[in-house]
Amino acid sequence: MRRGLAAACRLLPLAVLAASPVGLEPYTEAAHEQVLQRNRGSVLLLDFWATWCAPCLKEMPGLVQLEARLRARGFRFVTISADEPERKPHALRFLEKNQVRGPFYQRQLDDDDDRFIRSIDRNWSGALPALFLYDRAGRKVRTFIGETEIEEIESAILRLL
Amino acid sequence: MTRAGIASLVFAAAVAGQDSRPGSAVDDFLLTTTGGRTVPYSALRGDVTVIVFLSTECPISNDYNERMKQVYLDYVARGVKFAFVNANRTEPASDVEAHRRSVGFPFPVYQDPDHIAADRFGAAVTPETFVIDRAGVVRYHGPIDDSRNPARVRVRALSEALEAVLAGRAVRRPEIKAFGCTIKRLGKKPT
Repeated sequence: MRRGLAAACRLLPLAVLAASPVGLEPYTEAAHEQVLQRNRGSVLLLDFWATWCAPCLKEMPGLVQLEARLRARGFRFVTISADEPERKPHALRFLEKNQVRGPFYQRQLDDDDDRFIRSIDRNWSGALPALFLYDRAGRKVRTFIGETEIEEIESAILRLL
Repeated sequence: MTRAGIASLVFAAAVAGQDSRPGSAVDDFLLTTTGGRTVPYSALRGDVTVIVFLSTECPISNDYNERMKQVYLDYVARGVKFAFVNANRTEPASDVEAHRRSVGFPFPVYQDPDHIAADRFGAAVTPETFVIDRAGVVRYHGPIDDSRNPARVRVRALSEALEAVLAGRAVRRPEIKAFGCTIKRLGKKPT
């Protein structure tokens, strides 16, 4: 029993670590390609958000719940913060509070926003919130810009699962 | 009209608005004062005109309030005309006027309640700016500068575009995208 407890205690920090937002990885064009590659075979929703974007904050809990419900069916949810570096602690605190599953990304400050935005989607103006939905083959199939009903997002995801 | 019908109209207008990219001519349109009077763009334009889409609520737009005042004061003295436009359906005239007074804007803020101007220009975020030359052609579309944080600004894109247009030169980067708050429209543009 004691050995079991010790093992559980050893495992606990790892479990807590895995569920906690420990950092924001830089999201570059290369990182974007890696994320798409790594999630081939899953339905992927990329969420570009920022702490200054009220509708982004409003829709995040619903998206987290969606992932919790649909993860077993192959749905993945990845967040990319468009905040500036000084807002990083605020972004992390928000992700932690809302129990968002990592890894977490943040746009690279040195990146040219214009080039970065065009690399994600040529038709995207840079307006937030911006959600991009990819099918299991890694093809972008839907874009949601601005406030969107969670039911509309869920229905688009379910069609791909 | 059904909600889908309104959304379709908004979409059609947004698609039509994509014609107002750098290099295209701007047709006349109406703006509304916070007092409810309509004003044609043709009455506001000058040899060189700047259209700025802004918001009372968007934190990014509000971070640019001082810079909006500065660019206005710098260039109005050189004959440039400005139209500051709030196209957010969620921001009523009383809020727009109260915000203008509280932040001390030395210029009027017009409203675009049916997004006619925003759709025509293809404006999607706040703040977002357009520079129109003597011939009525859009020469620049993009942000005021490249950082929300004034201490980190490297490129004053709007000022650079204005200097180029005033000097009769080509704008180095006529179109630049930047992160910003969505302009809240009636209905929703399907994507």
